[in-house]
Amino acid sequence: MTPAVEVRNLTHYYMKGTENQVAAIKNINLHVEKGETLGIIGHTGSGKSTLIAHFNGLLKPDEGEILVDGQNIFESKETLRQSRFKVGLCFQYPEYQLFEETVYKDIAFGPKNMKLSQEEIDRRVLTAAGMAGVRKENLEKSPFDLSGGEKRRAAIAGVMSMEPGVLVLDEPAAGLDPAGRRELISMIKNYRRATGCTVIIVSHSMEDIAGVADRVCVLNNAEIAMLGTPTEVYTRDEELRSMGLNVPEITRIFINLKKRGLNVPENIFTVDDAVACLRKMQQRGNA
Amino acid sequence: MISDISIGQYYTGNSFLHKMDARMKFILVFALLVFVFLCKSFFSLALMVVFTVFAVILSGVPFKMVLKSIKPLAIIILFTAVLNIFYTTGGATYFEWHSLKITEKGINTAVFMAVRILVLVVISSLLTYTTTPTMLTDAIERLLSPLSVFHVKVHTLAMMMTLALRFIPTLVEEIERIMNAQKARGAELETGGLITRSKALVPVFVPLMVSSFRRAYELAFAMTCRCYTGGEGRTRMKQMKLRPRDFIAAGFVLILLAGVIVLNHFFEAVI
Repeated sequence: MTPAVEVRNLTHYYMKGTENQVAAIKNINLHVEKGETLGIIGHTGSGKSTLIAHFNGLLKPDEGEILVDGQNIFESKETLRQSRFKVGLCFQYPEYQLFEETVYKDIAFGPKNMKLSQEEIDRRVLTAAGMAGVRKENLEKSPFDLSGGEKRRAAIAGVMSMEPGVLVLDEPAAGLDPAGRRELISMIKNYRRATGCTVIIVSHSMEDIAGVADRVCVLNNAEIAMLGTPTEVYTRDEELRSMGLNVPEITRIFINLKKRGLNVPENIFTVDDAVACLRKMQQRGNA
Repeated sequence: MISDISIGQYYTGNSFLHKMDARMKFILVFALLVFVFLCKSFFSLALMVVFTVFAVILSGVPFKMVLKSIKPLAIIILFTAVLNIFYTTGGATYFEWHSLKITEKGINTAVFMAVRILVLVVISSLLTYTTTPTMLTDAIERLLSPLSVFHVKVHTLAMMMTLALRFIPTLVEEIERIMNAQKARGAELETGGLITRSKALVPVFVPLMVSSFRRAYELAFAMTCRCYTGGEGRTRMKQMKLRPRDFIAAGFVLILLAGVIVLNHFFEAVI
């Protein structure tokens, strides 16, 4: 099967040609399979945002290629334009991109640019709004009258409404309170279940990523440092910490318990998982 | 793309001119601009040219950068020169065609005017090359402070100017971010005719306006929290102080003035 997104030997320099030239990303090779959820983790400045801005051709690689559905996106103007719709990119703090008079119109902006029929636009807006959790009564309001969390949802719906095969979210939970974070993460899970789409989430919070990702890609100093399942990656606790990344507290506790000879799993990423796991062990112990 | 807009045109350096007090620089530049208009003969203008070249060398700003500041004005300089060639008449006639006449006086005036504008531009751009925007607004504030007698809010005006300058790079970054976000939703910002393009900018400018207002509120709030109440009783981290070098520069400019006057007196006036 052709991967949803394939990155080959991608390198991008900032300030190219000047003495301050730095590689924002260096020689990145990455396959994202159809339907998978990939988490991209990295410290500030590790190149996460630069990497994803290549997926829909907002940035042009200095070296290497990007293939979406097996198609090189820089082949022609048309393929570049198509890549914008195939890969839905939702930036950090997307609520600052809202501009229309009503939430409905704003969500319809993407589909309208795709030159779809009015009925199709209508269907997509309603579906996306439903999936992103934008309440029906808010659709006719001005986006500037919504609360912070509602704005965020409306903006994400604006990207979902293009029904991209690949949805890329850059720090979708940034600036939200813990409850908001949890809701957002479960919204993403539901979206994925409902559509079967490929999802790429960029974050520096390992906790958020652990809950949703099938695979995790760790970027460090412009290069891929690790790539694997959350369990594979998160058990390399020491290395991650040297990259300035923090494994969730609860995972660390379990890893250390294991080291001390206790027979516990290492792939515990949330407190809820931990409680469930301990309960099970307790029952087993009683039995 | 937009990120390479350079704001102001400060050239980092540590020269005599960089180290001078911004207020003195301001006054001297103003004086020099007046001197340029005092010049009547080619010789006094030549003295100004020599002085200007000397100042450029002293500043350590590369000639290439100085030329860059002249470039946008090249058309104006050329235009005035051409106008002067044809509209000033007198002396020997070199060329005649219908009502167009090129005379000795015409050529002289044209050259004189062109050089004059060049000197004006170079001198004033040296000020911005060697003074940071913050220092400049500070100097303006101090120099205009006597106006507060007439209830002009000099400090407020200077603060507004400083803030405006401060936020230009921030806004440039913001525009880039919003443009990317809208492009990711399929907005076409770089194709189509004038009307299509200006329509396409609505999705960029509405969020930009909104966030500018948000920033303004936040900034005002933050300033209030730090007990900002305007200029009264405010002290500065960087005190401006006149040093010997400022007086040396002033003395030098005064000598230049004397030179201009003397040369005007002894040589024939061009205009």
